[in-house]
Amino acid sequence: MKAKLSALAIATLMSTSAMAVDIQWNGFASIVAGQTLSSGESVYGFNDDISFDSGSLIAIQASSDLGNGLGVTAQILSKGDDDWDPEFAWAYVSYDFTDSFRMLVGRQRAPFYMYSDFLDVSYAYPWITPPEGVYSLPFDTFDGVGFIYNASIGEFDTTTHFTYGGNNNGTQIAGEDVEPDFKDIMALSVTLNREWLTLRAAYAVAESTIPISSIEALAAGWSQTPFADIGDAIRVFEDDGEFLELGFQIDYNDWIVVGEYTEIDTGDTFLNNDDSYYLMVGKRVNSVTYHITYGADSADPLNATEGVPVGVDPALDFLVANTNAATASQAEDTTFLTVGARWDFHDSAAVKFEYTDFSDDLDSQSDAGLLRMAIVTVF
Amino acid sequence: MKKFITSLLCTLCLISTSALAEVVVVVGASNGNSLSGSDVSRIFLGKLKKFGDGSSVIPVNLASGSDVRAAFEKNALGKSSSQIKAYWSKQVFSGKGKPPKELGSDADVINFVSSNPGAIGYIDAGSVNDSVKVVATF
Repeated sequence: MKAKLSALAIATLMSTSAMAVDIQWNGFASIVAGQTLSSGESVYGFNDDISFDSGSLIAIQASSDLGNGLGVTAQILSKGDDDWDPEFAWAYVSYDFTDSFRMLVGRQRAPFYMYSDFLDVSYAYPWITPPEGVYSLPFDTFDGVGFIYNASIGEFDTTTHFTYGGNNNGTQIAGEDVEPDFKDIMALSVTLNREWLTLRAAYAVAESTIPISSIEALAAGWSQTPFADIGDAIRVFEDDGEFLELGFQIDYNDWIVVGEYTEIDTGDTFLNNDDSYYLMVGKRVNSVTYHITYGADSADPLNATEGVPVGVDPALDFLVANTNAATASQAEDTTFLTVGARWDFHDSAAVKFEYTDFSDDLDSQSDAGLLRMAIVTVF
Repeated sequence: MKKFITSLLCTLCLISTSALAEVVVVVGASNGNSLSGSDVSRIFLGKLKKFGDGSSVIPVNLASGSDVRAAFEKNALGKSSSQIKAYWSKQVFSGKGKPPKELGSDADVINFVSSNPGAIGYIDAGSVNDSVKVVATF
């Protein structure tokens, strides 16, 4: 299905160019340099060696208006974190039922977070990237169908965005390269905007299967014992996950205040339920925007082995110890404080500087200070 | 010295002229709709797509870099040019919308607006002629 949709989008794009219909080209890029300040520290993909590829990216978008409400768009994104391998971040056919009701079919972004739709377009927001501690879902795109409906309700302009689809792209979860399968991803977001105030809420569900080898091995071990249900519980196999986001944005005169709160509920799998939030305050002074952001990310470990007798059977003890270690590894209690500035030095480019103080309350060895600089552009 | 003062005065004149330049929002002479300042802002941000009488709105921009456009964005939309650019990049890269088409000069805008029902543009107040109707001044 997915391959078919992408192929459809590309084929449409190609036939479009064959008919010599106008293709509009746009693009954006971020070049990020970053380094942690003390030896041995690492955070958000950076360490104490200066890096120019982590967080850096470039994207080219081609779109064409086919007339009668039909359009086609493809966006190819190449990220330094993925060895610059290009991939389709978006590839869709759009159809406008009316001026205010649009359907997208193909590959697109799931509207999880306030900045999801333009997650990689750093030019569109003050930070170098939206706060990593909060923007932590394992995937951001899906293949399927989306509906965007705009309406005015009283003084508010509203946007309702509903998406349905799936994703089975390889990713990294719990430090391991995995081939997950997210099915029946349904997401609904509602955004209200009136002059300087924007309010947003999003809710999403997905049936998740994530074969993590160490967890699968533990589950196989438990299946040989009377406690097979523990194995079934910890592995992520056709488990229903839920996601909730609440956000607001105030853009008043030269002040900006942005906040988002998220909850991830993965059921009783070894991946824990995660709560996170951030609050940003910024001020524009001529062409420079100064900003400060504080955020926190916490997850309580699942207690999967309650009720298993200890000291009776060495095989059981082994399973208990390893299962507890796996669930404990997912516990999280971190905070971050970022101060930064964005300088719009050019018509379509900006320079950004940021310092992040990352603090891990469960393991102070993971504390880190990260300095980043970026040049971001749209074209 | 005299030359210097003269050139300084000229520069000051220029600065004050550009600061005082009035931007007017124009529609075709036969367009009977009235618009509030907030309507104008929502039209040029792609949020309002129909006039009061239900007909479709076609906004047009002046080319980026134009002084009149910068003044319009500052006074009518309340944003700097880079904020507007950031706003449209959100829309363009997320399949939600695209910015109004750009025209090269006030004369092009007058031409387009007077020959397309539903078109709306903005020009320097000094460029207005009979073929268009001023609906707002910033």
